[in-house]
Amino acid sequence: MGMKLIYLGCLSSTKYTDTCENAIQIINKIDDEYKVLEEAPCCGALAYHITPDTTLEEHVNLVNDWFKKNNVEKIVTICAGCYNYLTYYYPKYKADEFEVVVEHLLQFMAKPENIDKLDLKYDGKKLRVCYHDACHLRNADIPIIDEPREILNSINKVEVFEMENNKLNSICCGAGGGVYATFKENSDYNTKSIFDQMRRGKALITACPFCYTAFKRVAEEENMKKPIIKFEDFIIKIMNGVDPLK
Amino acid sequence: MSEEGAKLYDEVKEKVETLKDEKSIHRKFADIWRLACIGKYRSFDLRYLYDDTSREYVEKYKPAMIEAKEKFLENIEDYVDQCLNVMEKTNKFKVYYAKTNEEAQEAFMKELGDNKVIYKSKSLEAKDAGIIDALKENNIEIKETDLGDVLCQLLEYESPSFTLGPGIQFTEEEIVAKIKERYGVELEPKAEKIVKYYRENYRPELLNDVKVSLTSANAISAHDGSIVLIENEGNISVLTRATDKHIVVAGISKIVPDEFDALMVAKLQERITNVDAGYISIISSPSSTSDIQGTRVFGMYGAKEVVVILVDDWRTEAAKENLFYKDMLKCISCKSCDFVCTASRAFGNIYASKYGIGGINIVRDYIHNGIEEAVKDGLFLCTGCENCTNWCPAGVDLAEMIKNLKKIATEKGLCPPTLKKYQEKIIEDKNPFK
Ligand code: SF4
Ligand code: SF4
Repeated sequence: MGMKLIYLGCLSSTKYTDTCENAIQIINKIDDEYKVLEEAPCCGALAYHITPDTTLEEHVNLVNDWFKKNNVEKIVTICAGCYNYLTYYYPKYKADEFEVVVEHLLQFMAKPENIDKLDLKYDGKKLRVCYHDACHLRNADIPIIDEPREILNSINKVEVFEMENNKLNSICCGAGGGVYATFKENSDYNTKSIFDQMRRGKALITACPFCYTAFKRVAEEENMKKPIIKFEDFIIKIMNGVDPLK
Repeated sequence: MSEEGAKLYDEVKEKVETLKDEKSIHRKFADIWRLACIGKYRSFDLRYLYDDTSREYVEKYKPAMIEAKEKFLENIEDYVDQCLNVMEKTNKFKVYYAKTNEEAQEAFMKELGDNKVIYKSKSLEAKDAGIIDALKENNIEIKETDLGDVLCQLLEYESPSFTLGPGIQFTEEEIVAKIKERYGVELEPKAEKIVKYYRENYRPELLNDVKVSLTSANAISAHDGSIVLIENEGNISVLTRATDKHIVVAGISKIVPDEFDALMVAKLQERITNVDAGYISIISSPSSTSDIQGTRVFGMYGAKEVVVILVDDWRTEAAKENLFYKDMLKCISCKSCDFVCTASRAFGNIYASKYGIGGINIVRDYIHNGIEEAVKDGLFLCTGCENCTNWCPAGVDLAEMIKNLKKIATEKGLCPPTLKKYQEKIIEDKNPFK
């Protein structure tokens, strides 16, 4: 039996350690064999569009060797970018040699038996939240679109309020591809158009740490009152019976 | 980053900066363009025009569209031969196969002869082949006929605009003010009045004076050499009939295996953009009659002559050598990838090249003018969201082509410094944020 790895991704593991803790807690409540390993190398998603094929292949090899060295058989990742990259580019560069089964946290959680195990209950007033479909999830090789909705809607009194642009038609946060660091005007505009569509949604939930970072910045600059919440954080608050919007 | 890279980066930054100024050209375009995008994007899933949504329509025909395109690409030389043959022998077109853009320009100038004016519909293909530039160099008067383009000419708008609605950024007031200045005619600032003005004043000229006209083709059938053209104003109908010589300029990538594939291209374009296309022309010969003793005489009421200039230039090479921009050959120019594009929505006609707005025209600029131009066009404004690829009805992987351009730019030292730093940290430290 190989190892079951929780792959946190470079951004979350560096900048959002609380969220990582929450994710680990959720995953371990479902299956306590999943573990985090120190010094996990970054998947490379952030650089793949600017890195020559040969260098990229070397990096993919390095990460794949690291998986092999640690006997990794299954991965649950909490990052949209890692999911997209590990399910598309790794098989592309490594062909049949890439044997790791990769799932995103949302897929993992949404399995009926796993949702049951989480036993999500919410006793507050009826709560409508918006879910942001990160590009790296909805445009992935195996798209993740229904899963987050299934999870959120399974919580009683919680309901997904669909923005006008949703699922495949969603608006991108404008921060991907490193554009956040170079032309933040992209997320200025696109993020505001997402906020404009929230209407009756009381919070914006996202499963992508990059989208979160962009949303957070613009929300602060724009004085947005509604909270931006990472998926894992929202779920943990529900599990702990505390106000998920605080 | 190289000095050249820093310069290009600053140039793009400067343009982006102008978005803050409500009166700037880029901002004015962005304001209307963003509205159009949001509206279009939503309309993909609405059922207000027909029983099915455009997304359903696209999903239904996408496999057949991709198959037609792939068939063509696999046997590109055979299809081109077949097409040239049938056009010449059966359809009685005069056909040029231009290996390069220069050959296409030469053929065009030869066909133009002594004429000093050309009436044209929208033609990205002629732009791609450098024919528009050649006409300008030769002081040929170019008369646009699509109202949007007519207005762009009137208002001397030089920035990249949207192919499907090129004059969309002008207000009615701006237009009538210019008409007054130019023609001394006072009009009420209303769309109907402006249209009426052009119908009364420009239409007679189009019906009576056109000697040589230029159009593109939306698709061409290799099987029977039919040229399919789609439009809503009727300008193409006029230009292809009320003329002596109708010149079609099209890249060979407009060829599809048969006439039904060609019609599919046209219908997909119409539905996907929800732009009503009231007219589809299928042209398979010049105008002719055999009503006098069965003798076929050309040039009854329609065009006396149809000249087709099929341009290869970069295309066969891209297909045969499997170049990274090979997917450009599948593009049916529906332009719908622009509506869904994150960069396009945020930056309007800053994310654009001289061929038009959007990623697809940045790839085009790279093909003809190199990577520096692509960077200048805002290559690094793209977030890699893949909306374009996901939505494309013809299976064009635009996001992947753009990624390839970014790689080429980075190798040449043209990548923005912050992005480059991420890359170095990933490769060296295995974490870009540490
Ligand atoms: S790339 Fe696809 S979506 Fe974009 S214009 Fe071409 S055919 Fe249309
Ligand atoms: S990947 Fe780039 S070109 Fe394609 S839709 Fe997204 S931002 Fe636009």
